[in-house]
Amino acid sequence: MVNNKKKSGLSPASKIKNSLLYIVMNTILMVFSLSCIFPLVWMFYSSLKEKREFNADIMGLPKSPSFSNYKAIITNKDYRIFESVINSLRTTLISVILIVIFGFIVGYILSRLKFWGNRLLNLIFLMGLLIPIHSLLVPIYTVFLNTNLNNKWFTLIIPYVAFGLPIAIFLVQGFVKGIPIELEEAAAIDGSSFSRTLFGIIMPICKPILSTVAIVQVFSCWNEFSFALVLMKDRRLWTVPLAMTQFTGQFSSDYTKIMAAMLLTMLPIVVFYFAFSKQIIKGMVAGAVKG
Amino acid sequence: MLQSIRPKNRVIFAYLVIPVVLYVFSVFVPLMTAGYFSFFEWKGGPNKTFIGLENYVALMKDTIFWRSFSHNIYLVIACIIGQVGIAFVFVMMLSSNLVKLKGIHRTFGFFPSTVAAVSIGFIWTMVYDYKRGILNWVLKLIGKEDIIKVWLNESALVMLLVSIPLIWQFIGYYMVILLSATSSIDKEIIESSQIDGANGFQRAVHIVLPLIKNTLLVCITLCIAGNMKVFDHIYVMTSGGPGYDSMVMALYGYTVSFGQQNMGYGSAISLGIFVISLTVIGGGQLLVTLLSKERGEKA
Amino acid sequence: MKRKLLGVLLVLAMMTTLFVGCAKKSDGKPAATDKKEGTEDKGGDSLEYSGDLEIMHFSTSEESQGNGGSDGFRTVIANWEKANPNINLVQTVLANDDYKTQIATLAGAGDLPEVFLLQGMHTKAWAEQGLILDMTDIINDSPYNSQYDDALFYPFSAEGKIYGLPALTGGTCAVVVYDSAVWKEAGFDAFPETWDDVLKAKEFFDGKGMDTVAFGNSGKWQINSCFLSAVGDRFTGPEWTYSLIEKGGAKFTDQPFVDALKFTQEIFNSGLFNPDFNAINNEEAREYYISGDASAFIGGNWDVSYIQATLEGTDLYDTTKFAVIPQPEGATASYKTHDIGLGYAVAISSKVADDPAKLAAAIDLAYEITGPQFAEYVASNYALGGLTKVENIDLSKFDQFTQDFYNFSYVDNNPCEIYDSYISGAVWDVLNTDLQTMLNNGISPEDVAANAQKAYDENY
Repeated sequence: MVNNKKKSGLSPASKIKNSLLYIVMNTILMVFSLSCIFPLVWMFYSSLKEKREFNADIMGLPKSPSFSNYKAIITNKDYRIFESVINSLRTTLISVILIVIFGFIVGYILSRLKFWGNRLLNLIFLMGLLIPIHSLLVPIYTVFLNTNLNNKWFTLIIPYVAFGLPIAIFLVQGFVKGIPIELEEAAAIDGSSFSRTLFGIIMPICKPILSTVAIVQVFSCWNEFSFALVLMKDRRLWTVPLAMTQFTGQFSSDYTKIMAAMLLTMLPIVVFYFAFSKQIIKGMVAGAVKG
Repeated sequence: MLQSIRPKNRVIFAYLVIPVVLYVFSVFVPLMTAGYFSFFEWKGGPNKTFIGLENYVALMKDTIFWRSFSHNIYLVIACIIGQVGIAFVFVMMLSSNLVKLKGIHRTFGFFPSTVAAVSIGFIWTMVYDYKRGILNWVLKLIGKEDIIKVWLNESALVMLLVSIPLIWQFIGYYMVILLSATSSIDKEIIESSQIDGANGFQRAVHIVLPLIKNTLLVCITLCIAGNMKVFDHIYVMTSGGPGYDSMVMALYGYTVSFGQQNMGYGSAISLGIFVISLTVIGGGQLLVTLLSKERGEKA
Repeated sequence: MKRKLLGVLLVLAMMTTLFVGCAKKSDGKPAATDKKEGTEDKGGDSLEYSGDLEIMHFSTSEESQGNGGSDGFRTVIANWEKANPNINLVQTVLANDDYKTQIATLAGAGDLPEVFLLQGMHTKAWAEQGLILDMTDIINDSPYNSQYDDALFYPFSAEGKIYGLPALTGGTCAVVVYDSAVWKEAGFDAFPETWDDVLKAKEFFDGKGMDTVAFGNSGKWQINSCFLSAVGDRFTGPEWTYSLIEKGGAKFTDQPFVDALKFTQEIFNSGLFNPDFNAINNEEAREYYISGDASAFIGGNWDVSYIQATLEGTDLYDTTKFAVIPQPEGATASYKTHDIGLGYAVAISSKVADDPAKLAAAIDLAYEITGPQFAEYVASNYALGGLTKVENIDLSKFDQFTQDFYNFSYVDNNPCEIYDSYISGAVWDVLNTDLQTMLNNGISPEDVAANAQKAYDENY
């Protein structure tokens, strides 16, 4: 593993070692990456199959690919697929913005400032990671019902932000702890106010972790099901995962159609992800702090 | 921190009030409500009978609950090693000059964690399927027909089998978090260590690890928390079966609340999960602190 | 230290206030007070009501394709909407699994939808809680009362009162669907009447590389609804079941029921069934039949609808026949029984009673979606039965498949009760999970019975 000495003068032994290592590492990562992307490919070509063809052979390529599953979904008004995509986009966008802003502020304050209640708040936010929401659906529903906050366009934003906050806060905290404190001290000496330091100096430094928070939360908001099921009665306000339930009946299940539906509802987010993955990754990896 | 740059309490309060209120409202009020319900014999609806701590006494003796707990612990351990551990190794590999196509690995690797648990469960059910599944197909292909099994019906194997999709799905997630943490490490530090002739492993343990310790701790905490309340994957793949062989706490609480309509006891289970998870996380953090202290002393 | 303690106390106090505030609210006012305008007009006649009316059900459009009951249900609702333009029918339609979660949440919070579908096993508990409207008089006053099949109300009754109008179609939950062509090859003109004969045929099908019978139990309820309810009846007879429902002294640990469990365990260990019966659900198991991998399949009427819709036009469609579950050896309490009934009923939330005009509309809706319009629609399109009897169904216009299934369901065999239409979800959840373990030989039939009895004593 001595790949470093001087680039020109590698001994034969370390050359062999290096090429062996090269093969091993690249193979492992390649296999992993392919396994990650294969399901998407598989779902796509399977969704072009007929139900019966799929049941006979789940791995094979479609003999006569057809988009009939997609057609059936898009043309059926009951599925409300476009409405639900809009609802999901709105809910996700607003929630993620709020999570990033609040997560940054709270995470920073909790990691840097000593004040009364700091550790308590820390503990309280840690607890939020541990709430088993599936067995708390009734209390959650009761609370939202009694405050008349259920079934509104903004309803889901409330729990999404609340349950997204702990992760955001912890990630920001972990990151901020690695930033040298001299930075803020210098800013203070220059006369920068707390708020200006917070948003003008610290926030840009935190860009990598904030991008990470955003990307992680986008998908968990987009995919969230239980809150949406319990809190949203009005069909016009349904998000994508709820609309998806319309594809499964009590006593029927059509896998290829379900896969078409899964892909269709993942589409906006998959396109977003792959189109911007360069920027996203750059955002996450850029901005190293010079200490 | 210097006193001079510390803002007034008023300012701190102003910054914290909205997120904290929002958070307490949707996280703690329901939890407290459940705490209240847990003291009742309650089958849903307006009538409840106060029974004090009886639900908790029942919980202490509930063998199914404790079995579920042991499954959660299994998952926590498997996933800390599998998710965070492998993610760390991958991140180290990605920092090596020998690895090509880094962008592709980052992009593809993260992809599974963007997919809803329902779809992941669905895909892996297809992998394990007896007649048409990929696993048995491969076994047939390599002539190992004798070990073909009804995989998800194997009591002894089912926990391992359900943990694999969980691990696989979230490697990329932790990889991304750790990548953003390593990105904040000064490149010169790593480079200087390379010149010093530190090999990859030493470099990872002695230089990178301490520098991203905070983030690593966050990852482990997230991993424990996530696995203490894991639900969707198990629900989709096995519903806790066969029998209770892959039952986990959250799914058990859900079954009791909804399948059995025993909402008082279900609430007690939720509170139980909460307290137990808190203990496990607290214990985990204590362990990590102790271990790192010990190492610090040795060094 | 003191300050810290004070802090904790303060936060606790704050939360308690918040929480008590909520609790008070929920106790103090009925949940329906936030209902909107437009409910003022009081009129004696029905359907002077105009405004919103909620209904929640699980007949998704996906479901209605090939499922006669769902199709009929949706059709009649659409007609009712057209006939009552003043009423804005707010429908919440969820797939069945999600429907169950949602309705349990709403019941828990005391906020059931105005009109919804009630499962038999919830009747007693929810009636005791005062969540659902006593519909005894409403049913007596129904214009279609004389046409109702009274026996169907039994799962929705408690303490002499009736809480719902049975909805959707009455279908069998335990039917053997088999390919008469391959069974003829195996030497049987029809599906055997005893399990010994089925076991004899096993060798033949093994030789062909086929499973003899396909079954799917990964959902855990299938073994109860589609097998044990019928087999149990053969061992215990109906009196035992009624005694269990009425708390008349029957126990799960009674020998006949334990014998039924023993038999179930044995037969599922005999290799007759597909090896993965505990890992796949009924939807996948019936695909084994459809694709010719299994000579027979045991399931419910919903599976038959699906098989029919899928196979139409194939050879297998013409050779598919139906049989009751064969008689287990030693079972003498009843013969040729299969569990059949209506699993859901249209029920009305008790809070609707506060608004007579709205109640009248809800009642009218309940009458219509369970009335003759529905029954005739499903009878003439699918040869299925609903709550009201349809005289002189002209079977001749249906093909052989449909006629055979009609005769299987309503003519040739004897009905028995569906266990999980009664008692309590708590009992069935425990029993079903144990049954799954039992089929893997992880627990003895005696212990299964004892656990079920314990759950029964605690919850019912």
